[in-house]
Amino acid sequence: MNGTRPATLRAVGLSRGYAGERAVDGVDLQVDAGQVHALVGLNGAGKTTLLRLLVGLLRPGDGRAEILGVPAWRAPVDVRSRVGHVGTGAAYGELTVRQNVVAAARLHGLPRAEADRRARACLDELALADWADRPARVLSDGNRRRVALAAALVHAPDVLVLDEPTSTLDPRGVLELRRTLLERSAAGAAVLVSSHHLDEMARVADVITVLHRGRVVGTLDPGGVDLERQFFTMVHDAEDLRAAEAQR
Amino acid sequence: MSASLATEALKLVRARVTWVATAVVVVGVPLLALGFALAADGGGSSQLALKTRAMLPGEGWVGLLGGTGQILSVAMLLATAFVASWTFGREFADGTLEPLLLARASPGRTASAKLAVVTAWAVVVCAAAVVVAVLAGLVAGVGADGSPGDLVAPAARALVGGVLVAVLALPVAFAASAGRSALAGVGTVLGIVVVTQVVTVTGAGAWFPYAAPGLWLGMGGPDVAVSAVQLLLALPVAAAGWVATVVWWERAEIVA
Repeated sequence: MNGTRPATLRAVGLSRGYAGERAVDGVDLQVDAGQVHALVGLNGAGKTTLLRLLVGLLRPGDGRAEILGVPAWRAPVDVRSRVGHVGTGAAYGELTVRQNVVAAARLHGLPRAEADRRARACLDELALADWADRPARVLSDGNRRRVALAAALVHAPDVLVLDEPTSTLDPRGVLELRRTLLERSAAGAAVLVSSHHLDEMARVADVITVLHRGRVVGTLDPGGVDLERQFFTMVHDAEDLRAAEAQR
Repeated sequence: MSASLATEALKLVRARVTWVATAVVVVGVPLLALGFALAADGGGSSQLALKTRAMLPGEGWVGLLGGTGQILSVAMLLATAFVASWTFGREFADGTLEPLLLARASPGRTASAKLAVVTAWAVVVCAAAVVVAVLAGLVAGVGADGSPGDLVAPAARALVGGVLVAVLALPVAFAASAGRSALAGVGTVLGIVVVTQVVTVTGAGAWFPYAAPGLWLGMGGPDVAVSAVQLLLALPVAAAGWVATVVWWERAEIVA
C-alpha cells in the first residue's frame, strides 16, 4: 500500500437521480481503511449507482462523494490510481488474459516489468494461470469475471470497490475472492462490496449496510442470526413507511 | 510510449476490424487500381477500357498510382471511419468502459491516445497501399517504358491524398462517442459520403474538405483544379474533430 491520505470512501447526503427518479437518495456511508463494508439490497436498490458515484464514474446530484479525502468526481490522478473497481466492466475479448491484466496494471501507472510481475502473481492468486495466454473472448463468464477482478487488484489498490463480484463465480471462485478480500483488507485496503448474497457478505464483512429504493434503511451485524429475516424486515418496514408518507 | 498509447495500439493491432480494413486498403485497393491501369493501357475498346482510360489521369505509373490515389480517397475515408467508430464505440458496446475511465490517464488523454493510434494506423496502411501498388506495377510491367523516377510524384500524390482523406474521418470518433455506439460513427460517415456527392455534383466540391482530396487526385477529371488552401482544409476539420472528441471525453458523464 502506498500514499499518505486516509484510505476511505465517504458519502455525505449523497443523491443522484435519473429521469426524475432518485436512484440514490440522501445516503451517508463511510468505509475505513482495513474494513470490509458490504452493501446489500434487492435488484434496483441503487447499489450500482452508489458505487459508481463513490468511485467518480458519476457526478453527484446532491451531497458529496469522497474518495481518499477528495471529491470522487474528477478525482486527481494520484487518487484514481489507488482505486480498484469491478463494476459492469468486462475484459477486452481480443486481448489474452495476461495482456488484459498487464494493460490494467500499466494504465494504473506501474512500469512494464512491475506490471508483468504483478500480473503473474494476480493470475496465480485468482487461478487464471492456465488461461493466461488465451483470448479473453473464449473464457466462460465466470473466468471473465476473474479477469476483471485481477485487473482491479493488480495494482494493489488502497480502495477496492466491487459491484456484485461473485455473480458469475463458481464456489471455488467465491472462496478465492473471499480470501483475497480478507487479505487485502488486512493489509489496510478499504473494501466496499455490493451483493444480494447475505450469507456470503456475512462471512467477509465488518459492516453490512442495507440499501432500499436508494436509501440506507439499516445495518446488519455480520455475526447476527437469521440475517435474511432481519433484511426483509428492514425492507418491509421501509416500504410501509414509504406508503404511509405517500398517504400523508 | 505512454501506457495509454501502448494499450490502445495493442487493442487496435489485435482487433479483427483492423485486419479486415487493413486487408481491404493494402491489398484490395492496389489490385483494383492495377486492374484498371492494365485495362486502360491495354489499348482495347471494351467498355471497361474506355471507362478506365477516361477515369485515370494518364498511362503507366501515372495511371496506376493516380487510380490508387482515387480509390484511396474513398477507401481511406470509409476504412478509417470504421476503425475509429469501432475504437470508440466498442468501449460502450463491450462493457469495457468503466476500467478505462478509472485509469491513471484522464478520459481526455485516453481519447487522444485512441485518435493517435487510429491516425498512425491510417498513415501506415495508406503508405503500405501505395507500396503494394508500386510492387504490383513492377510485377505487371506497368511503366516499363519509363524511368523509375516517373513513379515518385504520383506515388507521393496518392499518399498525401489518402492521408488527408483518412484524417477527415477523425470527426466520426466524436459521433461514435456522443452516440455511445460504433453505428453512430458509421452512420455519420455514410451521411458524409452522401453530402460529399451532392456538393460535388453542384460544383462546389473544391471548397468542401471531404471532396477536395478526391478532386485533387483527379476524380473530377483534368479540368477541376484544387488549390493548396482548399486541399489543406482537411487539417482544421480533422483538428476540430480531435478536439471535440477529447473535450467530450473529458467533460461528459460517460457511463450515465
